[in-house]
Amino acid sequence: MRPLTSLLLVAIRDFKERVMSRAFQFSTGLTILLVIAVIVAPSFFDSVGGVQWTIGTVGEVDPAMVEQVTATAPIADVTVDSTAFDDLAAAETALEDGDVDIVVAPGQIVVNDATDPTLMALVDASLMAAGALDRAATLGLSPGDLADLLTGDYEIRKIGADGTGEASNRAFAFGATVFLFISIITYGQWILIGVIEEKTNRVVEVVLGAVRPHTLLAGKILGIGVLGLAQLIVVGGIALVGLRIQDAFDVPTATAAIALAVFVWFVLGFAFYATAYAAAGSLVSRQEEAQNVAFPMTILLMIGYFVASFSLAGENTVLRIASLLPPFAPMTMPMRMASGEASVWELTLSLTLMVCAVYLLIRLAGKIYSGALLRSGAKVKLRDAWRAAEG
Amino acid sequence: MLELQDLHKHYGDVAALDGCSFEVRRGQLLGFLGPNGAGKTTAMRAIFGLVRPDHGALRWDSDTISAETRLRFGYMPEQRGLYPRMRIHEQLVYFGRLHGMSKTAARHRASEWLERLGVAERRDGRLEELSHGNQQRIQLAAALVHEPDLLVLDEPFAGLDPLGVESMGEILSERAAAGAAVVFSSHQLDLVEDLCEDVVVINEGRIVLNGPVRELRARSPYRYLDVEISGGSPDWPSAIPGAEVVSIGDGRVRLRLDDTADLGAIVAVAEKAGVVRQFSFEPPNLSEVFREAVGR
Repeated sequence: MRPLTSLLLVAIRDFKERVMSRAFQFSTGLTILLVIAVIVAPSFFDSVGGVQWTIGTVGEVDPAMVEQVTATAPIADVTVDSTAFDDLAAAETALEDGDVDIVVAPGQIVVNDATDPTLMALVDASLMAAGALDRAATLGLSPGDLADLLTGDYEIRKIGADGTGEASNRAFAFGATVFLFISIITYGQWILIGVIEEKTNRVVEVVLGAVRPHTLLAGKILGIGVLGLAQLIVVGGIALVGLRIQDAFDVPTATAAIALAVFVWFVLGFAFYATAYAAAGSLVSRQEEAQNVAFPMTILLMIGYFVASFSLAGENTVLRIASLLPPFAPMTMPMRMASGEASVWELTLSLTLMVCAVYLLIRLAGKIYSGALLRSGAKVKLRDAWRAAEG
Repeated sequence: MLELQDLHKHYGDVAALDGCSFEVRRGQLLGFLGPNGAGKTTAMRAIFGLVRPDHGALRWDSDTISAETRLRFGYMPEQRGLYPRMRIHEQLVYFGRLHGMSKTAARHRASEWLERLGVAERRDGRLEELSHGNQQRIQLAAALVHEPDLLVLDEPFAGLDPLGVESMGEILSERAAAGAAVVFSSHQLDLVEDLCEDVVVINEGRIVLNGPVRELRARSPYRYLDVEISGGSPDWPSAIPGAEVVSIGDGRVRLRLDDTADLGAIVAVAEKAGVVRQFSFEPPNLSEVFREAVGR
């Protein structure tokens, strides 16, 4: 029972210390703002650059017509609204001034040279449809019957850049790779800095009087890992919700798979790299040396990242191999999973290797960590740390 | 009772501990003395499992010390260290809970210690915002918050002002009186002599003196003679058989006498040199016992 309680105490302390820190709050806020900006900005520019038409109405114009136009407009990638005028003269002036694009009055449609033919066709068709509704009622047809009568046996399908194919899934999954890469590096650095800090200010001597090194290591990784995951879920959640609302591009086929892949590979990838970062941190006593000892991890992460980014165009052998190997799998496998290119056996093999690697690394790094943690001063040699470790 | 038995620890060719053995009883306030590099810190770290001895045994109440036993120990390391950005009260609660206290008990004790040490109004401040002396107080509180049965302090008086020294001394005596085994290292031998009935002295990794201060002083083969004379030349004590000048100045002379020295003859020499104002003969003080023991 004791080690578990200690582990949780350590985890909660590390979690809280970072949540409370200005740096964390600032970076989380900034990330969220960036994500929102990236999602919102394109649609903002779209609506500014997109076409907007205004219909001027005079007198008793059938509201069904305006509704019909407004509802149909998005198919033509335009937005339509309407302004009512008291008399025809005022409406025509507005048309000449360019304040409205078309005028609809009882019994007539007024246009000028600037009126777009599409708008004219839209209004014309809508007036006809609205009129047909009225006349159908007098003939004893319900709106439903009329709809059946008028609806053709076809659907409108738009093709092109926004298709929901493999390529867009892969592009989207690459976003997840970037996310994983940044997350693992960021939270890995927190672990690294946290370990060095405890060693530098010697608090580790007081802590280790009450807690075993393995427990301290596990608690730290758990605390920072959960924090990282929480940040990831918040930022990722905002991104997904934002995309849904904006309907920025077609996500449905890949979303669930990517979310799951990101979660699983973050947990595994973080466990792997966090342990390595902790062991590296335990070797040195000064923050200045942090980047030197972190170098091997940074390189491995970069390789995985570059393999993924060079494979945006499609599958290749390097990507396939990398996605099986533990240090690179967290950056490469989610992409293959999302695009549906990874076969079941590849995924199983990759996950098995990764889990084994995490287990081995925790044993190995845990030993280095406990051997090196209490040796201050010059950088501890791996061999000495290994020998000094208990058990 | 804490027992260190025949501890050995080598770093390369250097022996930090070379057969170090001593005991600390419950209720005892033990001064742990030794020159720099003698092995004090290594021995203390060994108690907390921070150093693994190559050989030897560490026992508490006759059982080998385990991680579980250490929860009842409190340690104030020589190199002070706590979490600089953590709030003070929260930090003490954390250390209390790491040592197995309940949340309520830890909060209660932490508040009590902050009150006692006069830093109660800083309880929600961050450690790094405190003065050096106050940080030292928090470090002590972190070692004490779980009311340990064994309290080990490495140089607890270093860097304290006279008031801090006094309150530290009071707290240590009080913990011992309450039944804890308390051991601390210090270079301030006068202070140790005032506070402790018992001391151990370590030199080059092994214990060279161990016992009540009074006995150790009495057991010394040397006696010290203080003579104050007015008039006369200051170099009167030179060439007295069996006597060695320890200090000289302002008419005062302190001599170390071995058992061959003839007290009567010295008195005669002194009276010849000037008017003797003061003449006292006593066993060595703790500093002198210490110096004799470590041969410096």
